Amino acid sequence: MKMEEVSMSSLDNSKLEGLAQDILSDLVEDACLGLCFEVHRAVKQGYFFLDDTDQESMRDFEIVDQPGLDVFGQVYNQWKNKECVCPNCSRSIAASRFAPHLEKCLGMGRNSSRIANRRIVTGNNTNNKSESDQEDNDDVNDNDWSYGAEKKAKKRKSDKNPNSPRRSKSFKHKSSMMGPRRRLDNQESPRMLMKDEAFPQ
Amino acid sequence: MSKDSRMKATVNQKLTEMGERERLKELLRAKLTECGWKDQMKAHCKEVIKEKGLEHVTVEDLVVEITPKGRALVPDSVKKELLHRIRAFLAQHAT
Repeated sequence: MKMEEVSMSSLDNSKLEGLAQDILSDLVEDACLGLCFEVHRAVKQGYFFLDDTDQESMRDFEIVDQPGLDVFGQVYNQWKNKECVCPNCSRSIAASRFAPHLEKCLGMGRNSSRIANRRIVTGNNTNNKSESDQEDNDDVNDNDWSYGAEKKAKKRKSDKNPNSPRRSKSFKHKSSMMGPRRRLDNQESPRMLMKDEAFPQ
Repeated sequence: MSKDSRMKATVNQKLTEMGERERLKELLRAKLTECGWKDQMKAHCKEVIKEKGLEHVTVEDLVVEITPKGRALVPDSVKKELLHRIRAFLAQHAT
């Protein structure tokens, strides 16, 4: 290639070095010009000074660097030791235990409804109301398993997963034959109500 | 000397054709932003603008004020790195 011939004859390290410097110089000049154009456009379009704030605001929002405070200047373990009075039972509870306590106390959390339901179920077990009281359309959306408990805890039951391991299986067997077998042979056992079906009329 | 200028022209052409010039430009820009050169220069621009007046500043004004300072303020490490790459290119394609 012609280029090789030319460079072979005039090849000199200092020349190459000079060439490299020239190229660098071009590149730097290019960068500077680019910056100038960018700035000039920003000035003419009016957004060059947009992110400047006055000194006073800058001082207001400076980062705080003191022990015991976070970067905004707030005390961050202020409520570790405080105690709150529960509006329901009027007891004094530690702040970090307050939310779970309220859940149980007001009966509104996930866990508290589960516990309550369990208590109802085992309560019914001993109370002996386990006839198969088949109400047709109203209870249709509820679970099959515990007929007795259904009436008492209708709304809550419909939230639950019928296959949840938490159920007391012994009770299921008592009131209906359709207990755990449901999982294995759906077809053969006497036709089971799925959650949304109606009793065949 | 015309041999040299021919060689220079050829090298430059090769640099552009192979995309190396663009890559070097991007690299330089990234490095300059990284090391704070751009912010320094912008601050200097602000002074120039305040001096000349926001409405009347021209590209020429900026170029005249900024370029010499810009060249001087490029950090040595950036220069070294760029030179290294350029030399590598030259070694590969000019010999």
